[in-house]
Amino acid sequence: MLTLRQVRKSFPGPDPARPRPVLAEVSLALEPGDYIAVMGESGVGKSTLLNLIAGLDVPDSGDVLLEGQSLAALDDDARTLLRRRRMGFVFQAFHLLPHLTVAGNVGLPLALNGMAGTHADDRINELLEAVGLRDRRDSFPKELSGGEMQRVAVARALVHRPAVVLADEPTGNLDPESAAQVLELLRAQLKRDGSIGILVTHSAVAAATTDRVYLLTRQGLQLQSGTTTPRQE
Amino acid sequence: MSSANAQLFAALVTGPLRHAAGRTLLAVVVIALGVALGLGVTLVNRSAASEVSLAARSLFGLSDLVVQGTNAGFDEALFPVLARLPEVALANPVVDVQVRVVGRQTALSAMGIDFFRAARMQPSIGVEAPRTNLSPLAADSVFLSPAAARDLGLEEGDQLTVQVGLEPVSFHVAGILPAAAYRQRAMVLDIGTAQWRLGQLGKLQRVELRLRSGTSTEAVQRRIAAMLPPGVSVTTPGAETDEALRLTRAYRSNLTALALVALFTGAFLVHSTQSLAVIRRRREFALLKAMGVSAREQIASTLAGGAIVGGAGALCGVGLGILIADLGLNAFGADLGAGYFRGIAPALKVDWLDAGVFFLLGTAAAIAGTLRPAIAAARVPAALALKAGDLEDPAVRGNTIAGLALWGFAGVLLLLPAVDGLPLAGYSAIALVLIGAVFLMPAVTRLLLRLLPSVRSVPLQIATAHLRGTARQATTSLSAILVSFSLMVAMAVMVTSFRTSLDQWLEKILPADLYLRAGFTSETAFLDANDVTALAALPEVERVDANRFAQLAVTGLKTPLGLIARPITEQNAGRMLWIESTATNVALPDAQPVWISEAAADLLSLRSGAVFTGSIGERAVQFSVRGVYRDYERQNGGVVIDHDAYVRLTGDLRTNAAWLWLKPGADVDHLVNSIHERLPGLAEFDVRRPGEIRAITLRVFDRTFAVTYLLEIIAVGIGLAGIAASTSAQVIARRAELGVLRHVGLLRRQVGFMLAAEGGLLGAVGVLAGLVIGSVVSLILIYVVNRQSFHWSMDVYFPWVLLMAFSVSLVAAAALTAVWSGRLSLRDDIIRAVKEDW
Amino acid sequence: MAAMPRLSSLFLATCATLLTVALLVSALAAAAEYPPVVRGQVLAFPADEGSHPQYRIEWWYVTGWLQDESGQSRGFQVTFFRNRPGLDEGNPSQFAARQLLFAHAAISDPAVGRLLHDERVARAGFGLAEATAGSTDVVLEDWSLRQDGQTYHVNIPGKDFQLALDLVATQLPLLQGDAGFSQKGPDQGSASHYYSQPQMAVSGRISAGGREFAVQGTAWFDHEWSSTLLDDAAQGWDWLGINLIDGGALMAFRMRDAEGHAHWAAASTRRGSGAAAVTSAYRPEQIEWLPERQWRSPRTGIEYPVEWRLRVGDTWYQVRPLFDDQESDSRRSTGTIYWEGAVELLDATGAVAGRGYLELTGYGTRLRM
Repeated sequence: MLTLRQVRKSFPGPDPARPRPVLAEVSLALEPGDYIAVMGESGVGKSTLLNLIAGLDVPDSGDVLLEGQSLAALDDDARTLLRRRRMGFVFQAFHLLPHLTVAGNVGLPLALNGMAGTHADDRINELLEAVGLRDRRDSFPKELSGGEMQRVAVARALVHRPAVVLADEPTGNLDPESAAQVLELLRAQLKRDGSIGILVTHSAVAAATTDRVYLLTRQGLQLQSGTTTPRQE
Repeated sequence: MSSANAQLFAALVTGPLRHAAGRTLLAVVVIALGVALGLGVTLVNRSAASEVSLAARSLFGLSDLVVQGTNAGFDEALFPVLARLPEVALANPVVDVQVRVVGRQTALSAMGIDFFRAARMQPSIGVEAPRTNLSPLAADSVFLSPAAARDLGLEEGDQLTVQVGLEPVSFHVAGILPAAAYRQRAMVLDIGTAQWRLGQLGKLQRVELRLRSGTSTEAVQRRIAAMLPPGVSVTTPGAETDEALRLTRAYRSNLTALALVALFTGAFLVHSTQSLAVIRRRREFALLKAMGVSAREQIASTLAGGAIVGGAGALCGVGLGILIADLGLNAFGADLGAGYFRGIAPALKVDWLDAGVFFLLGTAAAIAGTLRPAIAAARVPAALALKAGDLEDPAVRGNTIAGLALWGFAGVLLLLPAVDGLPLAGYSAIALVLIGAVFLMPAVTRLLLRLLPSVRSVPLQIATAHLRGTARQATTSLSAILVSFSLMVAMAVMVTSFRTSLDQWLEKILPADLYLRAGFTSETAFLDANDVTALAALPEVERVDANRFAQLAVTGLKTPLGLIARPITEQNAGRMLWIESTATNVALPDAQPVWISEAAADLLSLRSGAVFTGSIGERAVQFSVRGVYRDYERQNGGVVIDHDAYVRLTGDLRTNAAWLWLKPGADVDHLVNSIHERLPGLAEFDVRRPGEIRAITLRVFDRTFAVTYLLEIIAVGIGLAGIAASTSAQVIARRAELGVLRHVGLLRRQVGFMLAAEGGLLGAVGVLAGLVIGSVVSLILIYVVNRQSFHWSMDVYFPWVLLMAFSVSLVAAAALTAVWSGRLSLRDDIIRAVKEDW
Repeated sequence: MAAMPRLSSLFLATCATLLTVALLVSALAAAAEYPPVVRGQVLAFPADEGSHPQYRIEWWYVTGWLQDESGQSRGFQVTFFRNRPGLDEGNPSQFAARQLLFAHAAISDPAVGRLLHDERVARAGFGLAEATAGSTDVVLEDWSLRQDGQTYHVNIPGKDFQLALDLVATQLPLLQGDAGFSQKGPDQGSASHYYSQPQMAVSGRISAGGREFAVQGTAWFDHEWSSTLLDDAAQGWDWLGINLIDGGALMAFRMRDAEGHAHWAAASTRRGSGAAAVTSAYRPEQIEWLPERQWRSPRTGIEYPVEWRLRVGDTWYQVRPLFDDQESDSRRSTGTIYWEGAVELLDATGAVAGRGYLELTGYGTRLRM
């Protein structure tokens, strides 16, 4: 259960007296298993929205609630721990830790949550199996292709069964074939664990793999009710 | 430069420097520090050396030759003989003895001169007429050199009392000499007065000769040498100056070598910052290559960057070095506290040639440090680097073999002898050991990291993984700290070994209960036979051993050896001297048994059992070396002879130091307090317990090494700066990675802990390697460099506690440095780094 | 008065200010026992030609005119001076400064237009510098004045010139003042023992400016010793010693006070030669020094009366220098500047009556004593 209540966010502009509004009253309620896409022009505040949901940033007004817990009420450490336990991330540039193996990268959230031993190994193997990289368990990221790295990233985002997975343009650096593969994996894993998925993308093709598509504009978040036409990237 | 070229220059050379302004600045600062220290020490040395030369020159005036005996002097009858030689235009006789100033723990050179002759030999002596009603020829008139006047706080008209034997002799200060006349701490008086009142009747220490123009100095020197009695030699003033400098050269060159370590470390630091920069800029280099910049242009531009950094640093360093030299001279004196140049007070002389050399050295160090990174940059495979976001230089080259080869070469160098009295091969071996160690570090780091146990802590796991993954890069940043810490360990081991050896040696050579010493002024301050008898008659005293300090001239040696006459036999020698080797043969009946110091053994190339001829006073004697002893006191060589034998040979009954053995149960404190009461004549002498002598000696020792410590700490500081530079560079390169870690839930403090662990582990590797390498270097210092420089041996002692403290502090400092340099990563905006595009 | 030139030589010869000044200061203050100069003490020859080491000061002084083979005239002056500082005479050191020796020599060459001079100073001892008693034998390293019967050998290897001369006495010594007792002021305490050897025949060689000349000429020799010479009023003096063409001799001096007036004067003449010679001594009021022409030194700005009219008894003379610039500038060594040069003596008819030396001291600053 993820709820955004009238979230506003501004950033300091060139004139300190007049902050530049980025998000104007965004409200949203998502149930476990919901998988949505957020689209919008560059600079409209998509990343800001993700940061607010991740608790990496706090809104000027309004609130973000995850499973009933107000993020604004938490301090930085508490938000970090919440992120550690209940959130997963997929980035456009993959961002695997270069000196950890595939298994090490996937297992990182488990280790952070204090899970180790065969139980953890089984879960890692399960995820790697799911993303089709069981045999690359001990490889280092630099030995993988882009698609493979993003599949590892998906596994890492989901390994600890988070409540929310935030994917910021996960296919931006991938060829269409790898992109499709990653999107399919992401959707499959989200649905399997019943996690909420939020996919920020410019790609209508990617957006089409989600349940609902929202458009972020200066006015707020509007549901496109799944009727968007594909747009040329 | 055309504007297009200027743009290219900006893009390739200055741009990157500006871009990484902080690290560029650090490299500039480090080179500046290295140059400053090297130049500072060199300038101080140069000023001291030039002061010694000037002092020698002011002593010898315009003379062409100097006829010189030992401290004890020679018969004045030689003077008219020399003066009458047809080639001699002017002969200037000099009485030159050390006198002790009553009421001060200080000695002065007393120069008895004939003003009329001296003024012709040395026009600068022309002094102002005394304002007081004193004649320079009067038996109570002395003139002080400016240095002596300053030191003693005396002015014209004041009274100055010196000690001759047990007698105080008072003079009036008739004037202060011009600075050019005598630079030493000296009192100058009429030669007749000096002979009479300083107990030198009939004796001269020196005759300076000016030759008629057109005569051959060498020919006259040979002719004079042939007519001189034993123990008297004829040299040129130049040779005398050289000799004065030679005595301190080993010390000065050691100090310079140490100062150069800072520059050496600085070169490694430039190397590591530049290497990191190359790794960081791989894509940029690849792009430039793709755009048509040739490998040669690439190397040239990187080197130009290094040259700019080095030049800027060296320039600042020259200014700073001059400042350091000035401060050092004022605060510590010409020998930076070592006590070699007691008599002189030099002013700073800036030698611009030195400054130029150090400017070039600094620039060259920076360029040398840039060379390998530059080549690496030129070799960046364009296609691969453009495609992958890969940080690591994949190939680990065969540095291990190069490192081992350097060590082998160092081993060979250690077998070589000193060059012209300087342990150049030893220094080179140390440099090779250090460079070799730097080459071997990646392999060693990997090995050590592999040995690390696996841990639960996620930050620690990531830190370890990171270090394993970047071993080469990490050890590059480690080279500066490795070099400086190795040298710190080496110095610590060497100084501790020296200090402990000295302490034990002092304990050994101070066997008596109480020491009474007339000072180092052996010709004027002494006890006579009656005083010794009076001491022996004190109720607490069981026995008194008389010690006489004189000089022993040996043909071929420029400086006489120190001669110590004390009761000694072949049976008890081992109880009063630190014997290194003993003669196995039996002394020839007509050869006088003596024990010689290691320095004397080296200077004379003699071993135990050998026989040599030397002169005491003007008498030639054959000596049999019964043993070689360790002597930290007389760097110019010492010879110990039995006191009775000395008296038989010379008839000299004076005593410079008395060793007192007390009766059992005698109250030492009471005796010390009452000696002056019961023997008022001895009031001016030092009476000391062995413990006090040891304490004073060790205090002097510590002061001597204070500057050394300072230089070492600066070098280690530079090494830490290397860790700071690499950590901050890596933190920038790893922004995205750190951002991800914060995303996936690492707490701020866990990131900090991770950085600390990385820094600390890296530091620990450096410390471990440094302990090993430093120990090796210390052995080279002890067994090669010191032995060749100072002719003394010592036993090796490891200061474990100190080394542990050093190690722990350094690891902690490395960890803190890493956290401090990575503080950027603890800020919130690191989170946004995951969005940064490549 | 011959005393004065030698005294000025003392100043000249000292190599450093400190020595001279302090020496004299201390000499005055010294407690050493110096024998007094007393009237009536008979001078004995040759014993009195040697050194009198007990007296405080003593000098041997030679001036004269020399002609080289081309007939060119030059003046020369050689002084050896002995001083007993009287300091710490108990010092047993061989180097103790019991006796100090100074020497000064100069050549007046009209072709050079100024004096060439050099000096030596040393303490006596080791045979390197000695003034021997019994006959004239003064050695100061390589400079020497040695008597050998009636001949005196002068050897001066100076810096810019060399002198190697033999001087042969042609007359008996001329005892100055009262049988060799020469009073230097109104008070009898200021006096010296003083005799002269005028009309000495000179031959030998000189070299100057890199050239060597064989020379002949006539010299005036003085020997004087004293313990108490000057009185406090003396500002300077004028002294003249002339070998007359006719074989006679004239010596005159006067002491000037601070106002430039003569407060003491003396003169002596010897007329004729051999057994017929008549020696006359003159009292102060019989002597008159009248300056005729001033010469201003371009170096020091000091004005010296280099030409004189001189009356001795009833006779008027004219004194004319060989050339004007015979100033001795020793400011750098002794702070003393004076004029000492070769002069001709003209009689009332304007004919040259004799040649000798004139000394003018105390015209710049008071002579420090």
